[in-house]
This record gives sequence, structure tokens and C-alpha cells, in this order.
Amino acid sequence: MNNIVEFRNVSRIYKVGDHEQKALDRVDLTLQSGRMIVILGPSGAGKSTLLNLLGGLDSPTSGTITVDGQDISKFSGDELARYRASKVGFVFQSYNLIPTLTVRENVALVSEISKDHLDPDKMLSDVGLSDHGRKFPSELSGGEQQRVSIARALAKNPQILLCDEPTGALDSETGVMVLKVLLGMARQYGKTIIIVTHNQNIARIADTVVRVKNGRIKSAEDQTPVPVDEVDW
Amino acid sequence: MLFRKLIRTAGRYRAQFISMIIMTALGIGIFVGFNMEWYTIERDISSFFERTGFSDQRIISAAGFSYEDVRKVKSIGGVENAARYISVNTSAKDGDTVALTVTEDIAVSGFIVTSGEEYDEKSADGIWLSDKYADANGIKTGDALSLGYKSVTVSGVVRGLIKSGEYLICIPDQTQLMPDYSTFGYAYISPVMLKSVIGAEFYTQINVITELETKQFRERVDRAFGKTMLTVSKDDTVSYSEAMGESEEGKTMGSILPVLFLAISVLTMVTTMHRLTASEKTQIGTLKALGFKDGTITAHYTSYAALIGVAGTALGVALGVWLGWFIMNPNGSMGTYIDMDDWSLHTPPFVWAVLVLINAFLVLIGFLSVRKMLRGTAADALRPYTPKKVRRLLIERLPLWDRLGFGAKWNLRDNFRHKARSAMTLFGTVGCTLLLVASFGMKDTMDAFLDTFYNNAMNYTYRINVDAEKASRDDVAALAEKYEADTCSGQSIQIDGQTFALEIYGISHDTQRFVGDDGGYVALSDTGAYVSRRVARDTGAGAGDTLTFSRYGESGEYTVKIEGILRSMTESVVMTEKYADSVGIGYTADMLMTKKAEVEDDPLILNTQSKKSIIDSFDTFLDVMYKMLILLVAAASALGVVVLYNLGVMSYTERYREMATLKVLGFRNRRIGGLLISQNMWMTLIGVIIGIPAGVGVLRYLLAALASEYELNLSLGPVTFIAAAALTFTVSLIVGLMISRKNKKIDMVEALKTPE
Repeated sequence: MNNIVEFRNVSRIYKVGDHEQKALDRVDLTLQSGRMIVILGPSGAGKSTLLNLLGGLDSPTSGTITVDGQDISKFSGDELARYRASKVGFVFQSYNLIPTLTVRENVALVSEISKDHLDPDKMLSDVGLSDHGRKFPSELSGGEQQRVSIARALAKNPQILLCDEPTGALDSETGVMVLKVLLGMARQYGKTIIIVTHNQNIARIADTVVRVKNGRIKSAEDQTPVPVDEVDW
Repeated sequence: MLFRKLIRTAGRYRAQFISMIIMTALGIGIFVGFNMEWYTIERDISSFFERTGFSDQRIISAAGFSYEDVRKVKSIGGVENAARYISVNTSAKDGDTVALTVTEDIAVSGFIVTSGEEYDEKSADGIWLSDKYADANGIKTGDALSLGYKSVTVSGVVRGLIKSGEYLICIPDQTQLMPDYSTFGYAYISPVMLKSVIGAEFYTQINVITELETKQFRERVDRAFGKTMLTVSKDDTVSYSEAMGESEEGKTMGSILPVLFLAISVLTMVTTMHRLTASEKTQIGTLKALGFKDGTITAHYTSYAALIGVAGTALGVALGVWLGWFIMNPNGSMGTYIDMDDWSLHTPPFVWAVLVLINAFLVLIGFLSVRKMLRGTAADALRPYTPKKVRRLLIERLPLWDRLGFGAKWNLRDNFRHKARSAMTLFGTVGCTLLLVASFGMKDTMDAFLDTFYNNAMNYTYRINVDAEKASRDDVAALAEKYEADTCSGQSIQIDGQTFALEIYGISHDTQRFVGDDGGYVALSDTGAYVSRRVARDTGAGAGDTLTFSRYGESGEYTVKIEGILRSMTESVVMTEKYADSVGIGYTADMLMTKKAEVEDDPLILNTQSKKSIIDSFDTFLDVMYKMLILLVAAASALGVVVLYNLGVMSYTERYREMATLKVLGFRNRRIGGLLISQNMWMTLIGVIIGIPAGVGVLRYLLAALASEYELNLSLGPVTFIAAAALTFTVSLIVGLMISRKNKKIDMVEALKTPE
């Protein structure tokens, strides 16, 4: 397996008035492709910042981030947009579906920006929502909405799937179901998954667990994952 | 503390606040401005008329009136004052015309002195001259002045410069649209001087100040004289009727335009206050949870609306006063038309009441918006506002729907989801196009009007006024032959107590053409008479009917058959000499129209008027019109920019999260901006499609309001439609670009962090 993500001496400093806040402090991190990676840490540790930098939503104050051999840390706005369109898929805690588009349209949306996209209908059937294509997001349950969001993220056919607290708004049972779908899909399509969470239980399903605290990497360890069904919170 | 919050929140929503204030200010400004215009005209003119003794009625006789006649009139019950009066057009240097006027009692049809000596009714050589004419011709008090009338020359010294109510609108006749003081003015001399010049007392009019109704007055005058007398009421004078026409125009402008702007302002207030209270719902809940009473919170949010109302009203009143001043000042647009001394501005009292009502209404909207968010417990109020659920649209059932791109679907559903915002956007673009079409259309119509009546219908180079008292029919015929001229005889007639002109033409050289009701030129038939549109309207007579009239100073009546309706500058009955002969109407032509380049001096010729001098007098008229046009186009563009910008910002805020999602997915800024602009453009297209016919409708309404002054036919060139549409699209595009530039600032991380 090759390295897909490399952080080299990455810092992200936010200026709030006169005050400087170091969200990430000289981070070095290497992640391998095709793995299920969980970034674990309490709130305010810097894990979301890490994910945002990796997803091209934000740029580092210093240091370099290489994804699939490309240094994205110096990318322009348009280059970042192209990167987001082709390399990464996002799954958020709050789903972020477009409320005025139907379920199918939300997934098919990616065909507008990605040449290499997958069939939206196939993706919907893979997440078990073939019958809901004509519904609006507001007509679905939280778990269903998150599955649409996973279908949409994967429809772009990205290399990496970035998930920010994907089960944060769901109850345990639904959360486990969503994780199952997520893992199943990632395996089926051979994607690298990076999940950011504060939930220790979720970390148990990962191949690699990266622990973050106070803007620094505390540890990054490979482990033997437990099946999703055994997880509970 | 809440006051600080008020100021900071106003800062946060500044785009909405500013645009609402501007919109309210524009609406109120136009409302106040035009209402000030008509009210000021009525107040200042009636005061001016009162001070100069403008007469309510005129009794006219070519044979003149004796002193005994005045006494008769004065003794009529209801007559306040009466005086013998005469006004004749005399020729001054360089072919100028000066209406030389004498009144036996300066309190009747008199004047006020603006500089120089006070009027002296015993003066043997004093001339009191129109100050505007003096100014335009470089004449000062103390200068000598000679005025010629037929063989008589009146020579005197300019003692004072004056303004007179009788010459409020100083035009030689109704074919001239605007005063031109460089060629036409007026002067007064004393009765003593008149007697010394002509050797006798001779007055063709008795001017009367009375409160009597015209009908009643006529009956009493006829009884006093024992015969039917020719009387003309002030309603038939140029000064009074045209000034009242201006006032009517002001009333029309003061009602249509402000309604449009204020309706937009109120609707914007509804959407904006809803938006503001919705996005502040958690704050409203927090205040409630903290223990603030509902009343305090309501008062706080209602004060946002009050703030907008008060600021908008203050600015609007300032704008209105400026607009009122812009139109109503001695050097402003109305100053080129009417001539009076006091231009102090007046506001009709109801305007203040309406302003209070508008503010109350705006506050009520604020009150209702916050009440909606306050409903239920503090916990209910703390829950963020949930926008309406998306519903499937009817058009989604059409097969076409599936072929639409994502952008079109996104925008269409957004439009239907936020109906108020979409309706407002439409309203704004419709209003913008409507104003532009009406403004440009007005110009087209006026241009066509001038072209039809002046450039083309006046096919002569000179109009020659013949001394009808001296010249026999043969003399006139000889002159006409010499100049290859057509002839015209103008007389005054009465139909059912209303005064109109009778024009009898002998046309064989095509020097004057007649404009038909539909706009084409009509060759006069010898088998009937024609009436101008206003005569047809006022008498109810149409083609094929008969019309009975009497000539002034005669008791006999004539009945003529109406051949057709004409559009004319004058309110007139028109016929050929042949038809007049066949009906038995006697006439002597007093005007010739020739295509010759020069007219020689001749004792039978009173004066000449060139077509060029008539056309030159349009310049001021056009200048005034263009100024108003620019003002309206500016208002239309401001309307478009303000409404669209406000709604654009609102749309941007409402779709911020969706746009952030698109960005995260990999959509570029330009693409998202394009989506926003295309939504604007589609809305604009619909707005333009509705706005064009609506503008034509408003123009028709305006023309109907102007119908008593001008017989206008709606005329619209393709350029008007193209320019109106192009300008609306430009405004929309500029605003779209301004809004879409904000995309770059969307913070994806922040936007997507909070749950919906």
C-alpha cells in the first residue's frame, strides 16, 4: 500500500482579533491508501481542522500537504475546487444536502462537476434508497439523509472519503447502520476513508487510529478492526 | 443595552436596512414632491391671481364698451368688481410682438411691480413692461419703447417691470407650446395714455371679478344688457386652464408613481422583517429565556421597522422638498412655463397624514413579524426558525422538467419556496421596465406629436397676420395670390356655453395639413366640418352628427354636419371656405400661410410669424421634458438596483449554506455566481415581459390625463422597447455581479458546521 496523504510540518493559525489560536501545530502525518482511518480527539483538538485542510476547504498557514503526489497546500481557489471535485468526497454530521433538490438530484449533482462520476442510480441502490429518489431530503429520516450524503460523496468517484462526525446526529442503532453502509461502500469501491470523531467506540472499527490533542498528533497506530456490528454507544 | 443591539443588528443587516430606507425615501420623496408641485401651483397661482386681480369672466365686444356698460356690470348681483380692458398685439423692434394692455381699474386684470416705479393710472407716457420680456431683450426701466399697432405708434418710457396674472402663461396663441420671451411679451399703459394715443376711450372687454357660476353670470349679463353677450370664463383662458392642467398632471404623477414605490417599499418591509426576525429567532428566544417580557422584545424588534420608517421618511421628505423645488422654482422647469412672483412651496396637509399612516403600517409589519417568532414558550422561541418544506411543483410533472439542468431546477424550486422574495424581484423588475417604457414612450409620443403637428403639418415658411378690419376679401385674395398662400379665418364660437375656435381654411397650396384622429393627414372635404378631439369629447359630437354653434357677438346659430374628427393644437371646429359658404357663415381670412422665403412690408399686414420661430420655442419645452425624463430614468434605475440588490443579498443569505455545500462538492465560484445571475436574468426576463405592456398601460393613463391639454396619440418606437429592456437587464446584471462576487467569501467550514 502506498502513502496517499502526507502532512509535513503543517500549522494552521487562526487570528481572532489580536489573539492567535493554533488549531494545528507543526503536524507531521502519513496515511496509507485503501484504509479505514479514524482521527480521534476531544472537541477543539484540531481534528476538524486537519480534515478541512485535507479536504481543500482550508489552506495551511505553513507546511505542505501532499495528496496522491500533489502538493495541495499552495493551490489557488480554482485548483482547490477542481481538487474537491475529483479527489475527495465529504460526509458531514449535518448531511448538508441541498433541500430544494430531490434525493436523486442531490446525488446526480456531481455529474455537473466530475467527469469520472459513477451512476447516481446505482449509488442510490447501493445505499438502499432506490425507492426514495423522487423525495426531498426533508421527507427522509436522519439516517436516510446521511446515506444519501454518502451516495453523493462516492458518486464523484473520489480517492478519499472524508467524514466529519458522520454519526454525530444519529442514535446508536442508526449510526451503526450508517457506518456499515459507509464501510461496505468504501470496500466495494476501494476508497480510503477518513473519519473524524470524538467517539472512542467508532475508533474500534478503524485500521488506523490517529489521536489528536491540542493541535498536535499524539499517536498514529494501526490496529485490527472489530466488525461494525459489535460497536455500540 | 437593547438599543446597542439595535444599532449593531442594523449594521449587520445594512444592505437590507439601507435599501429599505432608500426605497421608502424614493416613494415618499416622489409622493411629497409631486403633491407639493400641484398644491404649490394651486396655492401660489391663486394667490398671484388674487393679488393681480385675475378676472373670472370677460365680456367681449368688438364694438367696444361704454362707461355706462361697466356700471351695468358692476350693479349685477354677485359681481365684486369690473373694469373695461383691452389687449392688442403690437409690434416692437425686430418683429417682436408685445401684447399692449390697458385696464381701467388696476385691481381688475392688473399686475404687480417687481422693479421700478409703482403704477400710475394718470401717467401719460409710462409703460409697465413684462420683466421677463425686458430681461430677454435687454430693456431696463427708463428705456424708451415704441409699439406699433396698425397706423398708430405708442411711444413711452419703461417706468416699471411687472408680472401679470393675465399673462401667467405668456404665449401668443395655443399653437405655441412654451413662452418665448425673446419674441413675445406684454406691457400695460394707463387709460390716460391710451386716450391720448387714439384720441378716444376704446375697450373691447369688460373683465369681471365674481364668484358667480359661469352659467348664472351669463344669464345675468344677458339680462343686464338685454341681449346675448359674448362672455369667456377663466376656464377658457390659456393662463388658467393650462395652469390647472399642470396641477392635474402633478396630481396624476403624485398618485401613480409613489404608489408603485411605496408598494415595493412595504412589500420589501414584509420580506425583510420576516427574514430579520427569522434569522434572529434564537436571539429572540434567548431574550425571552433571560426573562425579558414579550412586550419589551416586541418593542425592540418593532423599533427596527420604526427606525427604517423614520429614516426613510426624513430622507424622503428632504428628497420631496428638493423635487418640489426642482420643478417649482422661478428658474426650474415650471419657471420656464409660468411666470409669477411668489414660488414659496406648499404641502397639502393630507400628505402628512399619509406619512404617519405609512410609518404606522411599517411598524405594524415589524410588530406582526416579531409576534410570529415569539409565539409559544421560551423553549419554542429558542428553536431556530425552520423554513418551509420544499414541495413538488406542478411543472415537475411535465416531461420537460427532467431535461432541465440542475441549476434551473435549483433556481426554480428556490423561486417557489421563497415566493415573497421572487414576487418582490418581479415587482422590482416590472417597476423598472414600466418606468423606462413610460418615460421613453413619453418622449416618443411627444417627438411624434411635434413631428406631426409642426415639422410636417405646418408646411409653410411664414404665417402672415392680415389686418382684417382694413382688408377686404378682395385685398386678402390679392395678397394670397401674390404669396401663393392659403388662407385661414379664425373666430370664436360657443357651443352649449363652452368657448371654442372656428377655423375656416382655403387650402390650395398645401401649406397646412390636417391630422386625422388616427394620425394620418386628412384632406378637408367641402361637404362638412371637422372637430378637434377635445371638441368632440366636450360636446359629445362625433362623425355623422350635427353640431350647432353661435358666433361671439351674434345671436344667430349655425348647424353643421360633422365630417370627421381631427387632432389639433387648438380646441377648434375646422371647415373649408366652400363649406362655410354653403352653410352661410360669413368670414374674412385674417391669416395667410405661404411657402415664400420672404414677406414684404405691407399696410394690410399686421405681422408675420416664421415657422422657425415657432419651432424654436420647443427647445425649452423639450429641455424640460428631457430633464423630467432623466429624473424618471434615474428613479427607475435606482428602483431596480435597490430592490434587486436587497433581494439578492436576501437570497444569498438564505442560500448561503447551499452554496457552501456546492463549493465543498467542487463547484467553482464562477459557476455558483453564474447560477445566481441566471436566476436573476430569468426573473428579469419575466419582469420585462410584464413590464412592457404595463408601461404602455401607464403611458396610456398619462396621455388620458393630458388629453385636455394635448391631443396626443400613443407612439412607441422599437428603440424604446429595446432600450427599456436592455437597461433593465443591465441593472439586473450589474446587481447580479455585485452579489455573485460575494461567493468568494463563503466560509465553507463555518457554514457547514452548524446543523440546519
